[in-house]
Amino acid sequence: MDIPILKIEDFLVVTIQSELSDDEISKLQEDILLRIKDVGATGLIIDITALDIVDSFMGRTLSNVAATAELLGAKTVVVGIRPAVAVTLVELGIRVKWNVNTALNLERGRKLLKQLIGAEQRGGVS
Amino acid sequence: MSQNLERELSALFEDHADQLKGQWITEMRESGLLEQMSDVETEARYTALYNTVVSTFRTGEFEDVEKYAKIITEEAVMHDMSVERIIGGILKLRDIYERFIFSKYRDDEEKLYQLLDSYEPIANNILTIVTMAFVEERERVIHEQQRAMMSLSTPVLQIREEILVLPLIGTVDSERAEQILEELLDRIVEVEASVVIIDLTGVPIIDSLVANHMIKTVHAAKMLGADTIITGISPANAQTLAGLGIDISMLITKNNLRAGLWHADKMLGFKVRIEDR
Repeated sequence: MDIPILKIEDFLVVTIQSELSDDEISKLQEDILLRIKDVGATGLIIDITALDIVDSFMGRTLSNVAATAELLGAKTVVVGIRPAVAVTLVELGIRVKWNVNTALNLERGRKLLKQLIGAEQRGGVS
Repeated sequence: MSQNLERELSALFEDHADQLKGQWITEMRESGLLEQMSDVETEARYTALYNTVVSTFRTGEFEDVEKYAKIITEEAVMHDMSVERIIGGILKLRDIYERFIFSKYRDDEEKLYQLLDSYEPIANNILTIVTMAFVEERERVIHEQQRAMMSLSTPVLQIREEILVLPLIGTVDSERAEQILEELLDRIVEVEASVVIIDLTGVPIIDSLVANHMIKTVHAAKMLGADTIITGISPANAQTLAGLGIDISMLITKNNLRAGLWHADKMLGFKVRIEDR
């Protein structure tokens, strides 16, 4: 199953609608990175509102995508983490090496991305 | 063989039911265990107990005792009856029956011992079951109260759009810490909060458990897009924390709730001003 990667202005939006197998997750990771390169996106939003469970593989992959996207010039924000998922991720100890930006929902995520990109550009000028 | 003895006992009690009942009621009155109880109530109480005991001896099963124990403990809690009265009543009945067996078989020593061997374990077991039911009922009540107290003591207040305040009062154990975390995360989602202020003024002792829980909460809240400010750590607790060597560098800490709120306002661009009149 191909997961759609939507483009809005300079941002890419990926909504994960159901639990994914490890293979599907790896495939998605590749797709996202190729797409960032193709369209020259400056921001990436991954929406995981639909996920009840995020295992360590998924957590690590999200972290990898964020790190790789950064190299390609795009900031990543993960949005829609549920309270129970947040607790699980913290308990897995992922957060310690998990420098992924997070926001409550899609709207907030977009706001945060704009702030991050704005701050970088200002930093670049001075 | 022993089944026969038990049947014999139950038949014995049934044959002399009225005599034994009269004796129980008289003795209970004398020891003041039936105060403020009408004759009808006394009768009902005895009948329930009597039926339970006789059926236990007849069948050798303790199911009826368990049922009886459940009913009587619920009644006792509802009518605020003392445990002393109920246990006292059972003990009294046990004594009366035992003496009755003695008086009946005083001439046949062998038979007497056989009957007592059969009688005593069952009588003791009945008492144990009822007592345990009381203990369990009390524990259940205590547990319920604890839960009620816990939910009362962790309010999550929304004081501005996007700002939540969680004033913690009292000691924090791991169960409560877990509950606070859940409650807070749910509220963050509900009101779409961006900043959470946790005020620890009312927490007497901050140990490594509380500190680790704070860090966990901060991380989980961050995943939901909310920054956390910790306020109200007392000097003594600050010293303890520094001594514990827990890395709290990622926490935003402020002196008191006022300073925390000021900081939160600044983060979100709120400005408070007095309007000119």
